[in-house]
Amino acid sequence: MGLKRTVEEINARIKKGDAVVMTAEEAIDLVKKDGLEKATEQVDVVTTGTFGAMCSSGAFINFGHSEPPIKMSKVFLNDVPAYGGIAAVDAYIGATEESSNGRHDYGGAHVIEDLIAGRPVKLKATSKGTDCYPRKEIETFITLKTVNQAYLFNPRNMYQNYAVATNSSDRTLFTYMGKLLPNMKNATYSSSGQLSPLLKDPKLRTIGIGTRIFLGGAQGYVSWEGTQYKTNVPMRNGVPSASARTLAVIGDMKQMSTEYIRALYMNRYGISLAVGIGVPIPVIDEDIMRTCALTDEELFAPVVDYALQSRNRRPIQEVSYAELRSGTINVKGKKVKTSSLSSYYKARQIAIELKRQIMEKEFLLTQFVQAMPEERAIRPLDVRSREEVL
Amino acid sequence: MGSNRYMLFFTPDLINEPITYRMVKDFDLMINILRAEIDDTGGRLMIAFEGSPQQIKSALKYLTDNKVQIKELNEYVHKDADRCTDCGMCVSVCPVSAFVVDRGTWKIIFNSDKCIACGMCIDACPPGAMKLGQ
Ligand code: SF4
Ligand code: SF4
Repeated sequence: MGLKRTVEEINARIKKGDAVVMTAEEAIDLVKKDGLEKATEQVDVVTTGTFGAMCSSGAFINFGHSEPPIKMSKVFLNDVPAYGGIAAVDAYIGATEESSNGRHDYGGAHVIEDLIAGRPVKLKATSKGTDCYPRKEIETFITLKTVNQAYLFNPRNMYQNYAVATNSSDRTLFTYMGKLLPNMKNATYSSSGQLSPLLKDPKLRTIGIGTRIFLGGAQGYVSWEGTQYKTNVPMRNGVPSASARTLAVIGDMKQMSTEYIRALYMNRYGISLAVGIGVPIPVIDEDIMRTCALTDEELFAPVVDYALQSRNRRPIQEVSYAELRSGTINVKGKKVKTSSLSSYYKARQIAIELKRQIMEKEFLLTQFVQAMPEERAIRPLDVRSREEVL
Repeated sequence: MGSNRYMLFFTPDLINEPITYRMVKDFDLMINILRAEIDDTGGRLMIAFEGSPQQIKSALKYLTDNKVQIKELNEYVHKDADRCTDCGMCVSVCPVSAFVVDRGTWKIIFNSDKCIACGMCIDACPPGAMKLGQ
């Protein structure tokens, strides 16, 4: 089978300034024009992008030691509780944590955005006091400049595909998929489709632990499989047509920009964080070029009725991203208006920015150190007795 | 043309007067009633006028002469461009399709002259980019 390339060869070409880098959209056009074989020969790297709500996100922060020192146990950032059960002055602020002062529309994601924007954030912490850490409370202000480390560590980002949400009930539903109008008056989806990183390398042949990525404007890394990673899902054109793999990612907040990290508030649901991620896909062979060039017409997502309040929501049908992006889909003979929750505009900006960084030798590709699991089924949580879980 | 949308406030004593009817008749205006409601505080009528600037001016004068309060609705909501991420959540929520996707750039364009001030987009916009007028 045709041409093969290694990541080292590609990096050597990037360093010489010879690498040909294209966004996934450009790769689609090229394959249409020149065919798969020629396109594979021409292109070294395809860049992808996504910008959407990724609830499972958060940041580790090390505040530094006060005088006298404190072993922080309860930690608040702008009144949002952070987890302080890690050593003395480390905390984790989760994106979906809500403010403790009664404001529903401010939470962990907003603290993260405020920090990245350079705005001062109020730190309040209390402690029982110990012989080595005598201080019992502290109230002060921090910024990204005053803290030692601040890095996003997101346990589940970049879902490989995601269900389309609609609502057949007669009342408006407020969900993490946005406002769902009654009687299927709308449907919301959340994927950049033909630009989406994990749809372009569906088996993760080139993405694994240690893969360098564009994360929120910084150069970050894939750190682990994402939580709820699964592979036993329906496939269309060799690509999952339901939510499947996910990735855990890590990156330095001090290098990030609010262009690519944005706090969200889903009315009457809660807080989330919009994260912008771009992944460069090395064109190692024809097969990877084929999936990189899959179009919105060839990528599908299931439509799910959120009126059913159960984990066993069965898909009503599958729709293509081309249909979703057209503005209306047809669900059981009814025309339903669609809305995207993730920004295709930003996804494209990210793919373009990553391409620029690679072409200007600011971003080199990585060979992962460990591949992701080939097979994984997801487990439900049931109420069980001590004996049943053995 | 499209910016001629107004909210008319009628005090309870005005509700039974055929003010709107006379206005349409005397000033030869095309109107489109977007919303109408009456309660014990009076009546509110959201209305769009079509006609020459002179006709509209005279109609508005007629209304104020008859003690109807008028509020222009050009800017019921506005989009904070820095806050907007161009996601498109607002697109399917707006009942009059005031938001459209530009299929070249994939930016979300807000046509405020279509807005009928329902308020649906305000709490539907995840980053909080849609804000109440001025
Ligand atoms: S929902 Fe808000 S952020 Fe999204 S496109 Fe509309 S105005 Fe912009
Ligand atoms: S207020 Fe209502 S009509 Fe106006 S733009 Fe928002 S959703 Fe559309």
